[in-house]
Amino acid sequence: MSRPVSKFAASVFSNSGRAALLGSVLGAGLFAGVTSASAVELTVWSGYPEMAPFYQHVADSMKAAHPDLSVKVEAIPLREHEKRVALGVTSGGAADVIELAVSTATRYLDNELMAQAPDDVTKFVNDPANYNEFFRNAASYNGKVYALPLFRGQSALFYNTDMFKAAGLTTPPKTMDDFSTYAAKLVQRDASGNPTVSGWSMRLSGGGQGIAEKFWINMFQFGGNLLEQAPDGKWKATYASEAGHKALKQYLQNVAQKNVTVEMPADAEAFERGQTAMFIRESWVIGDIATKAPNLKYATATLPMGSIVAPVNLYITGTGDKAKAAWEFAMAANTPENQLWLLDNVGWLPNRSGLDFSKIVAAKPNVAAFVEYPSTYKFFSLPTIGPADEVLTRVAAKLTDAFANPALANDDAAIDKVLADAQAETNSILKREGILAE
Amino acid sequence: MSELVLTDTQELRASARRVANKRILNLGIDAFLVLFGLLMILPLVFLVANAFKTPQELLRWPPTVIPTNPTLSNVQAVLADTPLLRWVFNSFLFAILSTITILTTSSIAGYILGKFPSRTMSVLFAIILATAIVPFEVYMIPLYFQIKGLGLLNSVWGMLIGYLVMSFGIFLIRQNVIHSIPDELIEAARIDGAGEFWIFFIIVLPLLRGAMGALAVLAFFQAWTAFAWPLIVGTTRDAYTIEVGLALFQTGFTVDLGRLSAASAVVLVPSVTLFVLLRRNFVQGVASTGLKE
Amino acid sequence: MLKRKRWLFAIFAILPTLAIYLWVRIIPIEEVLRLSLHKWDLLSKNKPFIGFANFEELFHDQLFITSLINTTIIAFGVLVITIPLALFLAALIHHRTRSRFAGFYETSIFIPHVVSLVPAAMAWKWIFDARLGPLNAFLGIFGVHPQSWLFDPVLSIICVIVLCSWQALGYAVLIYLVGFKNLPVSLFEAAKLDGASGPQSFWFLSIPLLKPITLYVSVVTLVSGFNVYAQAFVLASDAQGAPGRQVRVLVLDMLENSFRNYRIGYASSEAVVLLVIVLVLTLIQFTLLRERGRA
Repeated sequence: MSRPVSKFAASVFSNSGRAALLGSVLGAGLFAGVTSASAVELTVWSGYPEMAPFYQHVADSMKAAHPDLSVKVEAIPLREHEKRVALGVTSGGAADVIELAVSTATRYLDNELMAQAPDDVTKFVNDPANYNEFFRNAASYNGKVYALPLFRGQSALFYNTDMFKAAGLTTPPKTMDDFSTYAAKLVQRDASGNPTVSGWSMRLSGGGQGIAEKFWINMFQFGGNLLEQAPDGKWKATYASEAGHKALKQYLQNVAQKNVTVEMPADAEAFERGQTAMFIRESWVIGDIATKAPNLKYATATLPMGSIVAPVNLYITGTGDKAKAAWEFAMAANTPENQLWLLDNVGWLPNRSGLDFSKIVAAKPNVAAFVEYPSTYKFFSLPTIGPADEVLTRVAAKLTDAFANPALANDDAAIDKVLADAQAETNSILKREGILAE
Repeated sequence: MSELVLTDTQELRASARRVANKRILNLGIDAFLVLFGLLMILPLVFLVANAFKTPQELLRWPPTVIPTNPTLSNVQAVLADTPLLRWVFNSFLFAILSTITILTTSSIAGYILGKFPSRTMSVLFAIILATAIVPFEVYMIPLYFQIKGLGLLNSVWGMLIGYLVMSFGIFLIRQNVIHSIPDELIEAARIDGAGEFWIFFIIVLPLLRGAMGALAVLAFFQAWTAFAWPLIVGTTRDAYTIEVGLALFQTGFTVDLGRLSAASAVVLVPSVTLFVLLRRNFVQGVASTGLKE
Repeated sequence: MLKRKRWLFAIFAILPTLAIYLWVRIIPIEEVLRLSLHKWDLLSKNKPFIGFANFEELFHDQLFITSLINTTIIAFGVLVITIPLALFLAALIHHRTRSRFAGFYETSIFIPHVVSLVPAAMAWKWIFDARLGPLNAFLGIFGVHPQSWLFDPVLSIICVIVLCSWQALGYAVLIYLVGFKNLPVSLFEAAKLDGASGPQSFWFLSIPLLKPITLYVSVVTLVSGFNVYAQAFVLASDAQGAPGRQVRVLVLDMLENSFRNYRIGYASSEAVVLLVIVLVLTLIQFTLLRERGRA
């Protein structure tokens, strides 16, 4: 990956608390500078229903300085959110503040559909004390700032400590091989040998790109990527590789050994109900468990090699007074207080530098796997290219077919063929869009 | 003579046996049809039953049909979490408005096409029928851009635009006009000096009551069950119809079957009741599609 | 003079309806044809004309081909289940018209056709559920192993077919009932006098006489089968707790290309393919009907 992702890891903790203080003072100063004369109603669109309280909290925190400001938060599931953004932005009917993953936002920026940040915001974002280079880049397009960073999706392992204990396991898995052996030990079966609790919940079904994204995370642990960028800025599919082979084979063998089956309850829901022993997911699950299964005994751990990092920003549409208030709102979402509130109450990871997580980690040790990781930990992010979703959706379709084919599990040549076919298709999409690296 | 009597009693016995056989056969058929009918509505019974089950009971194996300790908490939770009533209201408004416009356009166009025969009218009728062959899904995307251009996204009006006319409705009214309104009646009215509008409203419309009733039920349920179109026109939570709202309700991170069923049941009960009340009309309405040949 | 006045009324009265048709039917259909020849992406400013390139791409597009195959299987699957079953049921119901349950038969078979699709699909989703669903529980009584209905590539398509047939059946039964009612009674009485049994006159009289109805219902069922969408959407919608296998169907692929990949032009070319299929099916129906007319 050409994005300087590794720098992100190095710099997250290097900033001191002083910088944060400075940032917040700077932020407060900015808000004070603009006084809205008349009542403004802002609409905020979010793709995560659980984020609604956060935006409400931000709005409340602005009440004192802006008594006239009212904020309407509309948080709906991600797919529908992305759809309404596409349709709303092109028709001029979009909300004032739009929360969007960088990978999704690029196509809007390509077509000049989002507002550029005003000077004060640009200055704030470009201050290294506020954000590290990774997030500064993620908020910029062609060297200009278009957004305020907000939070990121980053994965870690969630495991049920009671089940680990029962299986005689004391530490979380350290290598990908461990994941398979653990899964075999953790799976619980009924009298006829069918699994009742999966050893490792893997994403095997569903409609969208999530399957491919999860596959990428696993494959990354074997040292590979789904797509890689060439020096000329173009892209190439690189999963018909050793890492891709190992990752797919691991899926297939876990399915073949019935450590997990496609029809078993999966993901956070299953984990909360004690229907799976472990799974890989983002930090929001911590908040989800706290509300839905407060008595669940679980822990988190970092992944063997590293994690996906999917930065999500706040974008502003339109200009004028409303846009001004919208930028202020986005700034307010980035005060250290609100950023910490986000982690503490919602569970998504804030992107601001120099935040002091110690209190939260002390109270919620499970947050540690997301904010305290080894210095060698690597990160990757989804490519910021137009057809990213399409590529992932198509890879997902191929993977689902492969998962459903029990004959593949021990047939190395067939696995390679699946990957080669899928890769050829991915490359043809990249070629169609004129971004295939030769 | 005696021979005849003999055959008579034999025949009587035989026919009695036949009647008995027939009765048993009919009983068998009835039993089969009742069973089949019950099977057809069984999924809906399950759905309503699930709405009142506790989470523990929903996970029980083997599944229960009737909730052992029914709870209202699913229904309450759904009503608290989602603007369910708002969605129902949107659906009703959409369906009613669509029914009204379809009745209006169909009755006028059907009458004109039926009672003013000419080559032009035949061509127009053919075009109207031809568009009926094209599935809505084919052209809903360009139509979507028209709605967008008018700024009618996220509104019942935008949804309505896709459901303003119904080719089958025009066809149905035209058939009825041709078959049940004699030309003489209209001519007589004209001779008496009646205006065309007067003829349409005072003479024609009342005679079309039956067909209009059938069409109304058809149009209402067509809009009530619409899915793909409201899904793309409505992008805010408040603009969803009940169909869309329900479908998206289950796309969050986790699925709660009890609540889902509760929401579904809340929707199901009024529409099924409405149907049972209007069954006669509906059956006529659908039946008249078969009269084509 | 009077005649002209009458014509003016006719024209003015029908004009609004025609205008609506032009606006919400004709123009969009024409637009679909136009867009299908363009690289028309929602977000990009350039929307160049590319001739038939979209169609060429379609026929190398694995997802499209899968959807086309799935949709065809579903449409014909629904047809094969619905038509014979509907004919049989309609015959029985017609036979028992005077039964006091007649109203119940019609209502119960018909209700699935009018209930909202989404609640209905949800009910079936639970029925098909591999672990908690009544279907596996029921089959278990006969010693059948639990099947993962919504996940298996073949079974998941069968699930969609079952759901669609369940909904389509009522309509077909009703049309057949109308057909039975319109059959000439004298013919059946004559057959009875000649000693034909009930099943015999059903087979040799009703079925041939109902052929036009069968053709009509078949085409309606097939066309609506090709438009299947909500059923597949809900059975495998995108919830993350083991939702089910996505059965790709044409409309789903079309909407995904339009509103997820923003490739409106490409999706339009899919719509054109759907249009051609439907037109061909209708054409076949007309041809068959005409042949019958000549014979």
